Amino acid sequence: MTLEREWMRGAAPLAVLTLLERQEMYGYELVEALERSTGGILAMGQSTVYPLLYNLEGRGHVEPVQRTAPSGRRRKYYRITPAGLAWLGEQRVQWERLVVAMGRLGLGGQAAAP
Amino acid sequence: MTPSGERTLPPALEAVVRAVVAATGLELRQRAEVEADLRAHFEDGLDAGVPEEELQRRFGDPAVAGRQIGEARRAGGAGRTSGLGGWGMGGMELMREIRHAARRLLRAPGFAAIVVLTLALGVGANAAIFTVLDAVLLEPLPYKDPQRLVRVYEAAPERRGDTNNLYMRAPTVAAYRSWDDVFQDFGALYTYREQGVDLTDGDRPQRRTVLPVTQGYFETLGVYPVLGRTFTEEETFSTGDAPGIRGVSSARVILSNQLWEEIFSADPQALGSTIHLNDVAYEVVGVMPPGYGDPFGPRADAWIPQSLASQMQNWGNYYLSGVARLPDGVTLEAAQARASARYEQLAGANPDAGEWGPWLVPLHADIVGPTRGIMLWILAGAAGLVLLTACLNVANLVLARGLGRDRDVALRSALGSGRGRIVANVLAESGILALLGGALGLLLGWGGVRGLLRLAPDAIPAGTAPELGASVFLFTLGVTVLALLAFGLAPALRMARTPPAEVLRSGDRSATGGRTARRVRDGLVVVQVAAALVLVTGASLLTRSFTALLDVPMTVDPEGVLSFEVNLPSARYPDGAARQAFHRRLETQVGDLPGVAAVGAVSWLPVSGRYHIWSAYWDAEDPGVTGANREAWHNTDTRVFAGDYFASVGLEILQGQAPAEVDLEGEPVVWVSRSFAEEVFGDRDPLAQRIGAGNEPRQVVGVVEDVPVDARGRVVPHVYLPHAQFNDDRNWTLVQTVKAQGELGALRTRIQSVIQDLDPALVMYRPRLLTEVVGSARAQDRFATVLMGAFALLALVLSLVGTYGVLAGSVAARRREIGIRMALGADGGRVRRAVMRYAALLTVPGILLGLMVSLAGSRLLDTLLFGAGRADPTPYALSVLVFLGVGAVAGWVPARRATRVDPSRTLAEE
Repeated sequence: MTLEREWMRGAAPLAVLTLLERQEMYGYELVEALERSTGGILAMGQSTVYPLLYNLEGRGHVEPVQRTAPSGRRRKYYRITPAGLAWLGEQRVQWERLVVAMGRLGLGGQAAAP
Repeated sequence: MTPSGERTLPPALEAVVRAVVAATGLELRQRAEVEADLRAHFEDGLDAGVPEEELQRRFGDPAVAGRQIGEARRAGGAGRTSGLGGWGMGGMELMREIRHAARRLLRAPGFAAIVVLTLALGVGANAAIFTVLDAVLLEPLPYKDPQRLVRVYEAAPERRGDTNNLYMRAPTVAAYRSWDDVFQDFGALYTYREQGVDLTDGDRPQRRTVLPVTQGYFETLGVYPVLGRTFTEEETFSTGDAPGIRGVSSARVILSNQLWEEIFSADPQALGSTIHLNDVAYEVVGVMPPGYGDPFGPRADAWIPQSLASQMQNWGNYYLSGVARLPDGVTLEAAQARASARYEQLAGANPDAGEWGPWLVPLHADIVGPTRGIMLWILAGAAGLVLLTACLNVANLVLARGLGRDRDVALRSALGSGRGRIVANVLAESGILALLGGALGLLLGWGGVRGLLRLAPDAIPAGTAPELGASVFLFTLGVTVLALLAFGLAPALRMARTPPAEVLRSGDRSATGGRTARRVRDGLVVVQVAAALVLVTGASLLTRSFTALLDVPMTVDPEGVLSFEVNLPSARYPDGAARQAFHRRLETQVGDLPGVAAVGAVSWLPVSGRYHIWSAYWDAEDPGVTGANREAWHNTDTRVFAGDYFASVGLEILQGQAPAEVDLEGEPVVWVSRSFAEEVFGDRDPLAQRIGAGNEPRQVVGVVEDVPVDARGRVVPHVYLPHAQFNDDRNWTLVQTVKAQGELGALRTRIQSVIQDLDPALVMYRPRLLTEVVGSARAQDRFATVLMGAFALLALVLSLVGTYGVLAGSVAARRREIGIRMALGADGGRVRRAVMRYAALLTVPGILLGLMVSLAGSRLLDTLLFGAGRADPTPYALSVLVFLGVGAVAGWVPARRATRVDPSRTLAEE
């Protein structure tokens, strides 16, 4: 099952940056990782990742670096930038607030606060 | 080799890559990068053992992907500087936005063309009018300290402000010159304009114009010859008339730069040489600077000294124009007060001086004239309203296009485009449109100025030269930038503020129907209708006024009348008898030409303003016409005529005899106009009266119909002196009037050869049709009417397009709603009524608003209106009808289209 478009739109950049925070990745690797790590929930059309990456690049949240992939080919790896890290930090706080708030409303898996 | 340099993809994936890249719409360099990324993607997939069909399926729709990648790539890159909360953008990115905007506009050529043309019309109208306004009203006169220059009239206290003031007299000019505390410099000129002379140096005489002026004239203006000197005290105030031109004391001449170049090839040695004016040798004493525009004689070729000596005791001859420079620091009011006080003293000492003291008018205001300034401001206001309607229309178009692009923008916003970039994106488009519109507008304006000058050269007064200069360029730039802000920024900001989610969620359709957006568009149309209505009302008021003007009874019949001047040089026609003999021969020979019905001549044509405002004497108690009763002198325009003048212009003789029936060799006679007879003689029989006119007592032998002196039908009393009896007073340059049937062009050629036969050295000067003379008297009114009409038409079309656009857009946007309604059983009539109601909602408030503004603003038009004026309700009613019509037409087509909505199809489209 996949998410609706709106959710996807908000979550995708966050997911990509979270993955890149751990390690640099090239395009296909990132697409696969998104699908694998989220149990397919964040598996959008693979093409969607590229506009997203270009956009993050445009905003200065990620930057491309040329490296040799394990396949031996030269690949464009994406690396999170300090600005990207800062933005991710802010988003993470908001995300957590949202989860807590939704939880209190009884939407989350946890029980609402008394 | 593929761009990735490694391996060829299977055809299916290769096709995907190509489809994506094609859909990006990116430029080559960026395409290559995307292509390489995609190839790498698929290579890695294939390497990982994923089948190509699976890779293709998981990738998604190439077209969608390509579009999104294109957007992201275009929006991308700039964000590197985005520490500014999404507003920042570098110069490179700006260039890119501009390039993209240009490309987008090329993809919508119809939209771009309409916007550019609309703007260009608005800007062009403004540039043209502003050019004229600037030259005539805003630019100071091109003389030294022009604000200190005044025109000096002599007027009865109650007649100050009247446009018809009297000229000055020689003794008062002499007196005023010495009032140093009132006038720093004082000069005078003969009448108020240049006069014709024959330049008789070449093989054939050339008709030229000279302006006779006194010492002090150039000194007052602060303009001096580049070569030589101005006239001296002696040359203009000492006694003795030089032969050739009446009132000229000394045969000296100052040349215009142009004439100097023409005759002497700009040789400085020309000083001291002679030229011949009317066969008299004049010594060249000066050359004026190039480009000097004389305020009274803009077409003057030369200046000659005007002698006042012989008139120094004549307190009754008002024939000079005075121009003066006020001392530094003395205001107009102070100067007027001092001058009036001085005049009282003067009048106390000279019983002949009378009560008509000096009246000072700023020279600039005097040259511009009382109505011309107002007319130009009104036309400028009208042009401004045209620009307003143009901008509103453009704003509407841009807004509608922007609404269509909402989804686009929302997507970019969702993908992380900064607000700055979104605003820049829209502004870049508006900017290109505004610049193109502005440039084209400037071009139109340039042509417009030429058109205006051709339409009414008289609308541009002396001493001013309208040219599209720096100030107009700045003005156009300002107007264009304002227009850009007005129609570009608001929609851009609105778009930037639109929450993307709202737009994306709501799907394509409702985007055009956002309530706020619709209200904004409605508001624009309401204002547009109001502005256009103001223009249409103004135009119809002026048109009605002009029609009233055309209905003014002219009492002359200008059809089929050819007029021209023949100047007889005093050297060869030294006395009145010689000149009279020539006129008799000319009359007889022209009268013998086929088709000619009547031949005459007059010193000043009808409907050409007042001239020779002299006094005529009549006192019932003074049958000897001694002239002793000061109260019995009546102001009247004097005309000298020859031949069958009255018949030639169709002027009816109401009483008494025609000139041909009177023995002009006998006792002195005079004809008077109807108003003269009524005002002066009252109930007495005019034909039994003797009046003093033309230097002697004369028997009234006829009463002729009044003839207006201007296009507005203003009538002043006239007396007509026969040239046969009044030809020694001066060398009258009579205007010949020939009434004929058939082609006047051919007649003109025949008359020319008659003149050649009589005297090969003579020139047929200024041949014109009398209809042209009458027409040019209406030039200013026609100018205002035609221009206002053009502006109104433009605004009318623009507002029609605007109203239609909004209604059609609304119907298109609500197709689905209409479809549902009709599916639910609403009949076509009801749907149509709903659309028409919307049309009324747009036009009626606009009409009311426009009507209010028109009523309030119409008093501005008062000075331009003739006849019923602004109280006439017809133009207002007409405008309301026109705009109700606009609403009906703009509503009808969309209404019909709405009822043709096919419910099943509209719903199926969902």
